[in-house]
Parts: sequence; C-alpha cells; structure tokens
Amino acid sequence: MSKLIFNRRRFLGTAAMTGAALASPAYLRRAHAQGGEVNIWTYNDFVPEAFKKQFEAETGIKVNVRLVDDQGKQFNLLAAEQPNPSVDIMTVAGHRFLQFIESDLLAPMDTDRLSNWDKINPTFSESDWSTINGNKWGVPILSGMEVLSYNTDLVTAEEAQTWDTLFSEKYKGQTAYIIQDMLSIVMLMKGYDGNFIEYADDHEKAAEIMAEIQQFMIEKKPLVRKYYDSGAEIQQMFVNQDIALGHSWNGPAAALINDGFPLAMSIPQEGSYGFVYTLNVANNAPNADNAYTFLDAMLSSPEIGAAMTKASGFISTYKDSAQYLTDLEKKSTSFPEEQLANLQFFRAEQNELKYGLMDPAVEAIKAA
Amino acid sequence: MSNEAASRATQDVDAHTRVGRTFWGRLSNWSPYRALMGLVTASPRRQFLILAIFPLLWVLTQHLGPMLQMVRVSLTDAYPVAPGVEQHFTLDNYARFFGDQIFWQPFFRTLIFAGGFTFCTLILTYPVAYFLARHVSRKNQMLFLLLLLIPFWVGEIVRTYAIMILLGNTGALNLVLQSLGLIDRPIPFMYTSFSMGVGIVYLTALYMLLPLYSALEKLPRSYNEAAADLGAGAWTRFRRVTLPLTIEGISSGCTLVFLISTGFYATPVLLGGPSTTTFAETIAGFFHVAGDEWPTGAAFATIMFFAALVLTAVFQKLMNALRKGDTK
Repeated sequence: MSKLIFNRRRFLGTAAMTGAALASPAYLRRAHAQGGEVNIWTYNDFVPEAFKKQFEAETGIKVNVRLVDDQGKQFNLLAAEQPNPSVDIMTVAGHRFLQFIESDLLAPMDTDRLSNWDKINPTFSESDWSTINGNKWGVPILSGMEVLSYNTDLVTAEEAQTWDTLFSEKYKGQTAYIIQDMLSIVMLMKGYDGNFIEYADDHEKAAEIMAEIQQFMIEKKPLVRKYYDSGAEIQQMFVNQDIALGHSWNGPAAALINDGFPLAMSIPQEGSYGFVYTLNVANNAPNADNAYTFLDAMLSSPEIGAAMTKASGFISTYKDSAQYLTDLEKKSTSFPEEQLANLQFFRAEQNELKYGLMDPAVEAIKAA
Repeated sequence: MSNEAASRATQDVDAHTRVGRTFWGRLSNWSPYRALMGLVTASPRRQFLILAIFPLLWVLTQHLGPMLQMVRVSLTDAYPVAPGVEQHFTLDNYARFFGDQIFWQPFFRTLIFAGGFTFCTLILTYPVAYFLARHVSRKNQMLFLLLLLIPFWVGEIVRTYAIMILLGNTGALNLVLQSLGLIDRPIPFMYTSFSMGVGIVYLTALYMLLPLYSALEKLPRSYNEAAADLGAGAWTRFRRVTLPLTIEGISSGCTLVFLISTGFYATPVLLGGPSTTTFAETIAGFFHVAGDEWPTGAAFATIMFFAALVLTAVFQKLMNALRKGDTK
C-alpha cells in the first residue's frame, strides 16, 4: 500500500510542479530556439521532469538523460570516451572535482555565460572547494550529507545519536551501509581525519589507520545485512522492512519521510560529512553551447531548485527555494543546530592518498 | 501428345513465365548474377569458404574480439590511457591475484556456488524434464514447454526483482508462513546465499531443462520395458537405463548452467549479502573505481574465464569416462 501512496503522491507532486512550471513566467523564452541536443549524466530525480519538458519545448533542444549512481563509474566512462565524449553535462560531487580536473575530463565553468549564477546561495557558489586553480568547475545544485537513517517504529532517537548503534549486536542483520562512505565515518568515530588532510606528510600513518579501519569493518561484517550502492536500494530495504537502520545520504531518506514512511535521520555525535552535487561541463563536450543554455535555464527559478529537492530529498543550493516547500519537506531537509555542528564537508586535497588506500580496502572488506 | 501431357506442358510454361516475372526470377536469369553464382559454386571448397566467411566474421568480431581486447587490456599498466601517460606491457595485474589471498575467497566462493547451484538445478529440473518427456502426450509437450518459457520473456533484472518480492521480509513467502501461524517474525531470506541460490537456480533452470528434455525424449520407451521384463525395479531401471543414457543431456545442461553461474553479476548484487560476494562483483569493483584499475579487472576476468573453462573440460572428461564405463 505504501508503494501506491508513494506513486500517487509523486504523481500529484509532479503534476503540481508541472502546473507551476507552465504557469510560471516564460524564463526560457529568452533563450532563442536553437535546437540540437544536450547529453546529461546525472542521478535519478536530479533533473525535474516538468522542467525538462518545458526546456525542450521552448528551446527545441532535446535533453538526453543517462542515469548514474556512482562517481567512479562516471569517471571511468568519461575517461574511456575522451577526447571525444558523448556527454555534455555530468554530475560530480564537489569533493571529487580534483580527480576529474587532473585527468582533463572537465572544462572550466565560464560563469559569465550563466546570467543566473547569482541565484545560487553564495555559501555554495563562492566556497573554497568550488574554486580550484583559479577556476569554477561546476554549478552547485544540491547539497547532501551522510546520515544515520532509522525506522522510528524500531529504533529510538536516543539510539540514533551514535554511530555505534549501527554496529551493535541488538540490530544484527538489520543494518545496511555503503562501504566506501562508512570508511570515512568510522575514521571519525575513532577520532581520525576522514579527509586525510592530517596525514598529507605521513602516508605510512595513513596506511596504518586504514588497515585498522579495514580490520574493524571486517570484524563487524557479520552484523550487517547488506552493503549497498544506490539510494533506491536503501529505500527499498526500509520499505520492505529488511533493515531497521542504516547509513544513507539524506536525500533518499528525506524522500521516504516526505512519503509518510516512519523514518528519521540524525547526524550522530561522532560527526559526519557533507557534500555538494554540481553539474559540470565535460571537456570537449559535443554540445557545449546547449549545455550552457541548459544550465542557465536550470538556475533561472528557485521553483526548479525546490522541485529538485522535492524529487531527490537533497537540500537545494538555490536562494529562496525553501519557500516553495511544504512544512514536511522543510522538516525533512533540515537538522537541529547541535547536530549540524557535528558536520564537516568532504575535502578533495588528499583524494589521491585517500582513495589510493580506500579503494583496495573496500575490495578487501567485500571479499573477506 | 495426350491431352494430359499437353495440359502439364502448358502449366510448366505458365509457371516458368510467372517465375520470369518475379524479382527472383528476373535475377536468376540475369547473366552477371549467373556468372557470379557460377564463380561462387565452382568448387565445394570455394562454396564452403564463402558460406563460412560470415559466421567466422561474426564469431571473430562479436565473440572473440571483445575477449581478446580484454586479454590485451589485462597485459597493460594503464587503461583508459590518460593524456600524457604511456602504456606499458606488464604481468603485474595477474601477479596481484596470485599475490593477495584476499581475492582468492570470492574466486573460490564463486566456483563453489556455481558448482552447488548447478547440482541443485539438475536435481530440481530432472524430474520436470522426465515428466515432460515421458508422461505428457506429444501434442501437449510444446504447450508445456511454452508455459515453462513464460518467465524467460522478461529480462534477468525483472525476474530477480520478482524473487525479491517473493522472499523479502514483507514478501509472499513470509506472509504465507505468518498467516499459517508457522512463524511470528519474518525469516530474513533476503541477502543470503539462500536468496542468491534461489535466484540463480530460477534464472538458469531452462538451460538445464532443455538438454535434459531433449535427451529423455530421444530415449526409447522399449529400453525401460525390456528392463522391467527382466525384473528390474523402478529405481534400478532409472539407475541402470535412464540415467546412463541421458548423461549427454546432463553433461550439456550442467556445462551451460555452470558457465552461466560463474558470470552472474546483477543477481548476486541484488539478492546476495555481505558474505556472498562473488568474483564477478570483485571484477566489477575494479571497473567502477575511478583510476587505472581496468587492467586489474581485465586480468581477473581472464583468470575466471580460463578457470571456468578448465573446470568444464575436467567435468566433460569425467562425463565421457562415465559414459564409456557404462557402455563397456
């Protein structure tokens, strides 16, 4: 039954947004009808369907969306296609920029071509991580964080104040997490720097710490029900009551909360990490002009930002988008101040060191 | 000329005229076409070569080509090659597998799972094939086969999701067990080797069933009748007559199911748990991780490919030995 409600609500939400978009000022009509296409790699629900349809109708540019669920997969796909990629716009998390930039996979963002750039909250558009080598590399669209999600019928809010609950015998076989993300969080739990900035000059210590974390995760393996990869998977597991709690991104969890599922989120006291999704133009993009037209149109209205939040559950980076959210949606995309104080953003400076140690650890944990 | 002969000659002329009017008729009468056909069919050897060239091209480009490319990638130190990076020959990717025991566990787990699931599939499908071949009337056999084919009209992922719906905590199986009062709390079937096994057996059953059906259907009923006349009981008839004479079907079915099972990816990902990681998942991990890990993934895929081939060859040898032993 919850599935039916989910679909009906989503349909009503989409219909409402379609109506709002069609009734809204013709912000796209300024763009002259140029035709052609734009190819986008992005996550599910990041490009609102109503916006896409209106954009296609008013510009004549066909929007081809290919869904992705992982940064590494995007990197490999793009690396294999360069120097003639099939994609124009891709979705890179801010803390993964550097890897893409160093491999010449992204083109610097020409913000002068985006008349709506100032519609992004400066917290996201002008922050340190968004500027690398003196250039902007992406349009921030959604902000997310690693949270502890829990079924409120089975787990108390107090238990959800610590990541230890995820590894407790009480919930044996009722938990799920993404291994790679959990490695950073377990480092925080044990008092280490999950961004590896502190170990920039001591790679040996970094390797020792990662070995310790890997060992911990292998020891705790009998307690976990499922290692998962995509947001849809953990939603499915919560709905089917296969798990009681799990690590997740706030977006998929918020989507379930908005749907009326008895779920809540917390940023536990040991801390957690936040990240920002950005839309980026690929180096040698075949339809770069159309890509900029699309990005500028996407930034044109806070309603579009709100639509992205409604569909994905992630927090919009657009100024004033919250006014288009319902009270429940506002609640599901906000956290108490004391929990937000435990949050820090993923950083990219030591990604080579970090992922050089983390990727083999993930394989080792899975294989063990 | 009799009237009948005259009428037949007229019909032949009419038919020839009709053929001459059709496209193929005109083409076959066209002299360059006739010259070309003469050239092509001049000798049996040439005819064979021309007929073989298209299947050969298909096999080389569509089957062997990607595998050879995978082997090539496995022998390099970088792929895809980043700008300014030079690609070198190396055996390090193979050495990584043999040098790190952490990868042996999913490797051997996959082979054991594949062997076990193949055996389960055989045990489950043999009675079905037997019933179909021996107890269903010939005119109804095609209908039954079509019924068995219905699940295969949809793809692997859809069928895997069907298993999830069946085995989930709120799935049909748990609901039935609860409604019968047999359990209070749902049994966690999902994300275990059990759910993965159910999925793989379900997905591969047809590949076992068809060779078994074919072998059983060819087996003359008179053999069993003769054995019965000589006093053999049902079990003896099955063990001494039916089983040995259907060993070819068993061998083909097991080979197919084993090879398919070693390569399954989506089913273990969706139905398996943390302790069922298969080698296909390990290999996929190398292709998903950002960086120069494709050659390692390619090397691991090549190792699995050859390991599966060697095991299949050993199995076939064993089956041949069994067959020869029975005919002595």
